[in-house]
This record gives sequence, structure tokens and C-alpha cells, in this order.
Amino acid sequence: MRHYEIVFMVHPDQSEQVPGMIERYTNVITKDGGAVHRLEDWGRRQLAYHINKVHKAHYVMMNVEASNEAMEELTTTFRYNDAVIRNLVIRRDEAVTDESLIMKAEKEDRERKSRYQERQAAEAKDADEKDDDANDNEDVGSDSDDDSEE
Amino acid sequence: MSRFFRRRKFCKFTAEGVSEIDYKDLDTLKQYITETGKIVPSRITGTKAKYQRQLATAIKRARYLALLPYTDSHQ
Repeated sequence: MRHYEIVFMVHPDQSEQVPGMIERYTNVITKDGGAVHRLEDWGRRQLAYHINKVHKAHYVMMNVEASNEAMEELTTTFRYNDAVIRNLVIRRDEAVTDESLIMKAEKEDRERKSRYQERQAAEAKDADEKDDDANDNEDVGSDSDDDSEE
Repeated sequence: MSRFFRRRKFCKFTAEGVSEIDYKDLDTLKQYITETGKIVPSRITGTKAKYQRQLATAIKRARYLALLPYTDSHQ
């Protein structure tokens, strides 16, 4: 049994398959007496460069403890699965269970986005109220314009 | 010509006592690549050899996973 860190990238059109894939891979690992110590779904991310004309990919990272056979099986399934664009398997000395930095950044991003949306919504509401006032003013303004033309 | 005061180089990883440079730590890795995506040599950054080796593998892993670009002229 060894510790591994697996990252695989799934084609964005096949994104719905990801939960099923994770389940299947987890089964392969646990059936041999292995364990999944950390599982992170980074979601769809923009790629730094295009791979096979694809601009985005769904990233999944797993830190596992698995037997050699299970890893062999996993890497072959990666190879023959067309939905997997790329995969990286590296050996680790021990189980890693802390949240990864990418996940942290992602979460912060999401939080910031939701906060931003909230603020936008609040502003929109304010603006709506102000808009009503502004409309009233505009009406007055246009009236005065008419006056000056006459 | 050494009348210009040059800031002393120091190794960030040694100073912080990093045990291993993570390829997922994109903010740190980005500090050690140029605008064109090259790895900055340690003679410029002052990174210790031990960490420069780790840094190089980390950057290469991040590039393979398309987390970092290989060059600025992609596509």
C-alpha cells in the first residue's frame, strides 16, 4: 500500500459523468483494501492553454492509499477513457487530508462572487427606488425643455 | 557601478521553512516565472538549490495540468 495523489481532468462536455467516475474509482481503490483520504472536486476551470481545442476542464483531485494493482487498473482506465483529457499521478509519503490551496482559492472566489452578487442585487434595488425618483425628475426636466423651445 | 544599492537576495522558502513546494500553490509559483512563462533562475531570485529543484518540478507539474502556461504565445 502506498500513498498517491491523483489529479485528472475531464472534458467539460462530459462533466455530468464526474460523480459516477469518482464513485467507480473509489470502488476500485477500496476493493483492494485501500482508502481515499482526500477527495476534491475543483469544478470546471479555465485552462492556461488549450488542449485539443478545449478551453476548460473539470478537475478532480484524490489523495489515496492504494495497492499497486488498483493503481495499474486506474491508470489504464484513464488511458482508455476518452473523457479524461489528462491525468497526473504522483507518489506521496503520507496521507494528505488538509484542504488544498486551489480549493481554498476557489472557495474564496465563490464567496467573493456571491458577496458581489448580493451587493449588486442590493444596489439594483436601491437603484430601482432611485430610478423612480429620477424618472419623476426627468419628467420635470423635459417639461422645462418644452417651455424653453416655445 | 556598485553605487546603486541592490537589495539583498534571500530565499523565501528557507526563511519560511517550507517542507515541500506544492504544485497547487499557484500564487507562489507565479512569483517564480517570467511574463513569458519561463522559470526564473535561482541566481536572480536567490532561491536555495534544494528549493529551486522542488520549484522546478512543481512548476512543471502545474504546467502539465494547464494550471500554468508553458509560454505566453499559446494558441
